[in-house]
Amino acid sequence: MTDLIHVEDLRFVNKKDSFNFFNKTKQFELGPINIDLKAGETLAIIGANGSGKSLLAKLLVGLEKPDSGQIYLHGEALTKSNQRQRCLNIRMIFQNSNESLNPGITLGSILDEPLRLNTTMSMLERAAKIEQTLVKVGLMPEHQFFYRHMLSDGQRQRVALARALILNPQVLVADEPFAALDPSVRSQIVNLLMNIQRELGLGFIFISHNLGIVRHISDKIIVMRHGKVIEAGRTEVIFNWPKEEYTKKLVHAHQALINRQNT
Amino acid sequence: MSLLDIKNLTLEIDIAGEWVKALDKINLVINEGQIHALVGESGSGKSLVIKAIVGAIPQRWRVTADRMTWRGQDLLTMSIKNRRKVIRSDISVIFQNPKSSLDPLLTLGEQLKEIVPEARLESRLFWRREKEREKIVMELLHRVGIKDHKLCMKSYPHQISNDVCQKFMIAMALVSEPKLIIADDPTRGMEVTAKSQILKLLSRVNQVRKLSVLFVSHDLLAISSMAHYMTVLYCGQTVESGDMLQLKKRALHPYTQALLDSAPSFRKDLPPKSPLSSLDGTIPTLQHLPIGCRLGPRCPRARRECVVVPAVRRVHQHYYSCHFPLHWDKK
Repeated sequence: MTDLIHVEDLRFVNKKDSFNFFNKTKQFELGPINIDLKAGETLAIIGANGSGKSLLAKLLVGLEKPDSGQIYLHGEALTKSNQRQRCLNIRMIFQNSNESLNPGITLGSILDEPLRLNTTMSMLERAAKIEQTLVKVGLMPEHQFFYRHMLSDGQRQRVALARALILNPQVLVADEPFAALDPSVRSQIVNLLMNIQRELGLGFIFISHNLGIVRHISDKIIVMRHGKVIEAGRTEVIFNWPKEEYTKKLVHAHQALINRQNT
Repeated sequence: MSLLDIKNLTLEIDIAGEWVKALDKINLVINEGQIHALVGESGSGKSLVIKAIVGAIPQRWRVTADRMTWRGQDLLTMSIKNRRKVIRSDISVIFQNPKSSLDPLLTLGEQLKEIVPEARLESRLFWRREKEREKIVMELLHRVGIKDHKLCMKSYPHQISNDVCQKFMIAMALVSEPKLIIADDPTRGMEVTAKSQILKLLSRVNQVRKLSVLFVSHDLLAISSMAHYMTVLYCGQTVESGDMLQLKKRALHPYTQALLDSAPSFRKDLPPKSPLSSLDGTIPTLQHLPIGCRLGPRCPRARRECVVVPAVRRVHQHYYSCHFPLHWDKK
């Protein structure tokens, strides 16, 4: 069986000058990055701020163009000519679900946009699809007439998820989907994502700082630092036998937090 | 003796001609040398409690309290000038978003030097005073773990990374040598290593200088690793407060239990990918607060009696307000 998504030697160089005083690099280099993901699996990306995690997510969905390397979906290379296929199959949940929703239009129109641009559905079909997706993520069909400001944080995250799911994608890329959420709402969203993944067999790639959740829901982990993948492997392996110095530091810091409470 | 003693603090906000109780009878006691955690989700009024303590609240909001004292002095009846003096010298606040609470037009060094209190300077000659200031600032930055103090002092807030900024804020809070530091969500959005550095720093400050810390957050993992005492807020009501260890072992309020359950790291026996337990629904907004116990509509144990606000009950040093607490039947 071929992998759902296969990334080979992905590289990206940011040419812009950085004004950061604490690291004086003028260039930011990402890669080379190799990823294999099967259907129904979850990949977590962890690393410090500014290690290129969000950039990698953007490269995967095609918001940024890589300088070299290829992304294969079902063994098929993604190029400019099959842009549409990529839009349909790889969807993204952005970092700040609050600001990535348009405040000026109703949620129904927000969800309608990807359908209008990427499919040939009629208006009635689209309306049905929107209602169906809203129900799937645990909202009510009436929510399509709401505006962004009328919803709570958890509901906004659900709408962002609905927008990603509405085209029946095969891969879902999420940039810190749980960061802005409160604990009780967060476990709702985690449960929801796991249910949807089980139902639809999605490949799920997500970025998170919360190692507790990473350990709980991911199958594989890649650890990034300064734009390089320094360690990759199965979740249990990385959490139990970290190899690199940086990964050890991360895991031990997390373990120390847990252990200190039992004393 | 307790440093800060708050009893039945109520804060009312005027929303479209109607007075809504944003905080409803909050109790909070902070003792000397203690790390006190204030836990609650967003919208539960954590930040409002802080603002009420330091008095950074608009005039048109109504603040009432049975008791709100700082080392025996009543904060509410004090004149504004006196209150400012007390707060300037004894309480420091680290605000939620370190980058946006710094002045973007001044370098960090200028901002930190500006707030060095006059009382800490010995000389009367201005050039010597400047030297002294620099020395104090340098020591402070080293103490909070910023090694390259020259670079840090020269740069502007946008030039430094978030966790350095947070450390700098802690340095700023320490400069007036306060008795109490209030940290409003200092580890938000940080990765684990930076987070544990900040936590270590705060607990070290607490141990070395006998400083009290009021630690406000919703990151239970961070809190339970360092705090001695915890107060849980929900929608502006104190739900439960007690000793950290006791609370974790035996939470009496369903909401506290739900919070503890929501962090997968707390339970080692949890198989991967199993569903987490969670409460239904979301936090109500201020316009739609339920009557009685505000957790009512989301609570799995709610019964008819819950439309009345439960009174605060006490078991040893453990306060809770619930009609049907957990573990009750076993007693």
